[in-house]
Amino acid sequence: MITIDRLNKRFGGLHVLQDVSTTIHKGDVVSIIGPSGCGKSTFLRCLNLLERPDSGHVFIDGEDMLAAGTNIAAVRQKMNMVFQSFNLFSHLSILENLTLGPIQLKGADPAAAKDKAMELLRLVGLAEKFGHFPDELSGGQKQRIAIARCLAMDPEVILFDEPTSALDPTMVREVLSVIRKLAKDGMTMLIVTHEMDFARDVSTRVFYMDSGGIHEDSTPEQIFQNPQKAKTRAFINRTRSLSFPIETRDFDFYGMNAQIEAFCEKHLLAKRLRQNVLLLVEEVLQVHRPQLGEGLLTLTLEYSERLNRLELICTQEGPDRHPLEGDHLPDEFGVLIIRSLVESLEYSYGDGRTRLAMAVRAGAPLGGE
Amino acid sequence: MVKSFEISANCAGGIRHLPCAAQRLIVCSRRIAATALTSIPIKRYMKSPRHLWLFLLLPILASLAGCHDGSATMHTLDEAAHSRMGVMTGTSGEALAARQFPKADIKHFDDILDAIAALKAGQLDSVLTGYPTVLLTTQRNTDLTYLPDVLSTEDTSIGVRKGNTELHDQLDNILSELKADGTLADMKRRWFKEEPGPYQEVDIPVPTTGTPLKIGIIATREPISFIDPHGRVTGHDAELARRIGQKLGRPIEFNALRMPALIPALVSGKIDAIITGLSATAERRERIDFTQRYYELRQHLLVRADRTTHAQGPSMGERLASSVRSNLLKENRYLLLIGGLKTTVVISIMSALFGTLLGAGICFMRMSPSAWLRRPAIVFIDILRGTPVLVLLMIIFYVVFASIDISPLLVSVIAFGLNFGAYSAEIFRSGIEGVDNGQVEAGISLGFTRVQTFVHIVLPQMIQKILPVYKGEFISLVKMTSVVGYIAVQDLTKASDIIRSRTFDAFFPLIMVAVLYFVISWVFIKLIGLIELKTDPRRRRQREARS
Repeated sequence: MITIDRLNKRFGGLHVLQDVSTTIHKGDVVSIIGPSGCGKSTFLRCLNLLERPDSGHVFIDGEDMLAAGTNIAAVRQKMNMVFQSFNLFSHLSILENLTLGPIQLKGADPAAAKDKAMELLRLVGLAEKFGHFPDELSGGQKQRIAIARCLAMDPEVILFDEPTSALDPTMVREVLSVIRKLAKDGMTMLIVTHEMDFARDVSTRVFYMDSGGIHEDSTPEQIFQNPQKAKTRAFINRTRSLSFPIETRDFDFYGMNAQIEAFCEKHLLAKRLRQNVLLLVEEVLQVHRPQLGEGLLTLTLEYSERLNRLELICTQEGPDRHPLEGDHLPDEFGVLIIRSLVESLEYSYGDGRTRLAMAVRAGAPLGGE
Repeated sequence: MVKSFEISANCAGGIRHLPCAAQRLIVCSRRIAATALTSIPIKRYMKSPRHLWLFLLLPILASLAGCHDGSATMHTLDEAAHSRMGVMTGTSGEALAARQFPKADIKHFDDILDAIAALKAGQLDSVLTGYPTVLLTTQRNTDLTYLPDVLSTEDTSIGVRKGNTELHDQLDNILSELKADGTLADMKRRWFKEEPGPYQEVDIPVPTTGTPLKIGIIATREPISFIDPHGRVTGHDAELARRIGQKLGRPIEFNALRMPALIPALVSGKIDAIITGLSATAERRERIDFTQRYYELRQHLLVRADRTTHAQGPSMGERLASSVRSNLLKENRYLLLIGGLKTTVVISIMSALFGTLLGAGICFMRMSPSAWLRRPAIVFIDILRGTPVLVLLMIIFYVVFASIDISPLLVSVIAFGLNFGAYSAEIFRSGIEGVDNGQVEAGISLGFTRVQTFVHIVLPQMIQKILPVYKGEFISLVKMTSVVGYIAVQDLTKASDIIRSRTFDAFFPLIMVAVLYFVISWVFIKLIGLIELKTDPRRRRQREARS
């Protein structure tokens, strides 16, 4: 029902949408997720031409929105939008907000439009507010009215542009349950959202958008349980990272420690975990010390909020040699300590770099103290 | 703070010209003011309307009493040499005063009536003016007199455009005829009367068809040229003009102008001749031609009379009653005020309508993405807002439509409309920009076109936002129209000038007019306020709830 073909949009030098193509079918509930500034909202706004794409095509029921001579206003009537900031008409009462479109655009009989508007207000649970004005309502109520206003136009698709981002956490639920109800009734919807649980429950498809396009398009199960691409995975697991490139033996060790501590504090990591990671970093450096100066050593800390897991990844340019095995080590102590501080340890080699990934233990070191 | 002190200093200057009772009142209130100024913060003081009223009331009471003490009265020209002397701008008297009294403190007034009022109020010691004015003023004001010394004699002649020799010769011949058959002498006897009493007018049949002869006059110079109770121009020079019309076989059209506008109007072709007691001075001869003289004008000094002549003045109530009688009732002068009121209201409303439409168009251009539309709009707004509306009015009348016969009323509407348009364009723009863009997007995404979005969503909110400012702008427009007298439109202010020119009472007509302007403004504020209520969604809901 909506076909998007090689859509491009630039803002100055920024290429926000790069050759985006996809098809939305009737009854699809598509959640669009992705980091801030990845073009999710722009993508949505290009569909109803609130932003004019630089090139490409948008077909709504086979009609090309961007072709000359298309009655864009008429097509928009089939495809309404719910905004982050509600955008209710502040000079009209709630009821008039709902009836303005049907009466002016569809020539609806005022009495009939009023009846229908009341019905929709009942659907979103705000029938008793019909005579109020927008600034007398809470954010959640306003957003429910905005949804009802869209429904009053009998649209075929509703575009939701971050419908809950401007709401208090307490009000998010009331809006989401209205959207859930619409999904159950089979309304075709595209929802840009940051509510991951909601996206997983309600959608039939999820777009993960990143680097100028739809990076991964799949079912919610696939995206949330087994994302296929690294960027998707990092986003889903809500991973934060910190890296240190180390070139010589004379690097600022104390400065690095201070940064690691700050990173841990920022993500509210347990004290034990903090101690473990500092100890681990020191030992890993000790193990790699002989090779320092031969190739770039990079230490990266990755913390996944969702999995509550802290990983230390250590890559070094050089030959394929497991840093913890072999006879180049002065003694076994370093390796023993490292193994006692981690839950798992993985070694791999690629691109001329050794890679050692260690999940830091949250509890007391094995066999220690 | 500083300003308030200045006001009280001014009060002190004017006090000595007031009657004893008023003096005592003022001294008393000044004491209150002084205490107030030193002991409580000025803001609190200003908030107390009771005290403020007292201050507003004082000059009014004082003016109705219209008194002064006799100490400043002059008797000789020597005294005048260092006095405060009033003259009228653009007159030969003005040049004479500068020549003859180089050490005097000369004050320039737009109208001789204002100078006379200042003399009566004690702000001047003398007024230099022509004999006909002197005569009439002293007849109507027992507290004024004049010095017998003739300061100069001047030729009063008809002014015509340079190069218009045909008309010049025709007028010269007619004046010779009128002089020869004694008509001029008879006119002088009937209009410049030594004793007070009604004028003996002679009905002169003037043709009603043909090309009219346009005569420039000053309508506030009794007995030379002034407006009679029926709104008709009359006086010595008006009769002369009619006689000329009769002899030429052409209708006469009078254009009532202000002194500074007379000669420009003649040069630009708005009028054909000036017949209003104009002296043929050397300076004026450089710009226009003059016919032979039709009477000799003697310049005198008008001064306040000795106090003894009216030691027992009438009471304040009697003065008020007599002011009402002479300014409003006599010769149905209130009709003049009503006529002026209508003109002021018509000009205000028409200018506001024209200006609002123009402002909407300019605003559209100003907000257009195209520089070709936006630039001219910005230039228009900047120029119009940076030009005094009076100057604009004169430019449009005397320059733009110089040789086109256009109604001054229409010119007023154009000038004030242009000015109002520039201001309202910016008001509209701020109103439109004040409407949240998200609502526009919501309208568009619902399927409204840009125009429909504007009509249904932006416009109603914009109107609601701009009305308070628009109301203020409209009221200041109403008050600004008081300058249309400069291009011969008889509005409220001009009407009061005409009344003052007959009664020589400065204050009552001014206060009358102030009250009338206030009433007009107040009515308009209430009317626009009604629209404001109508567009306020909350009020609308209350109304719906009631019904």
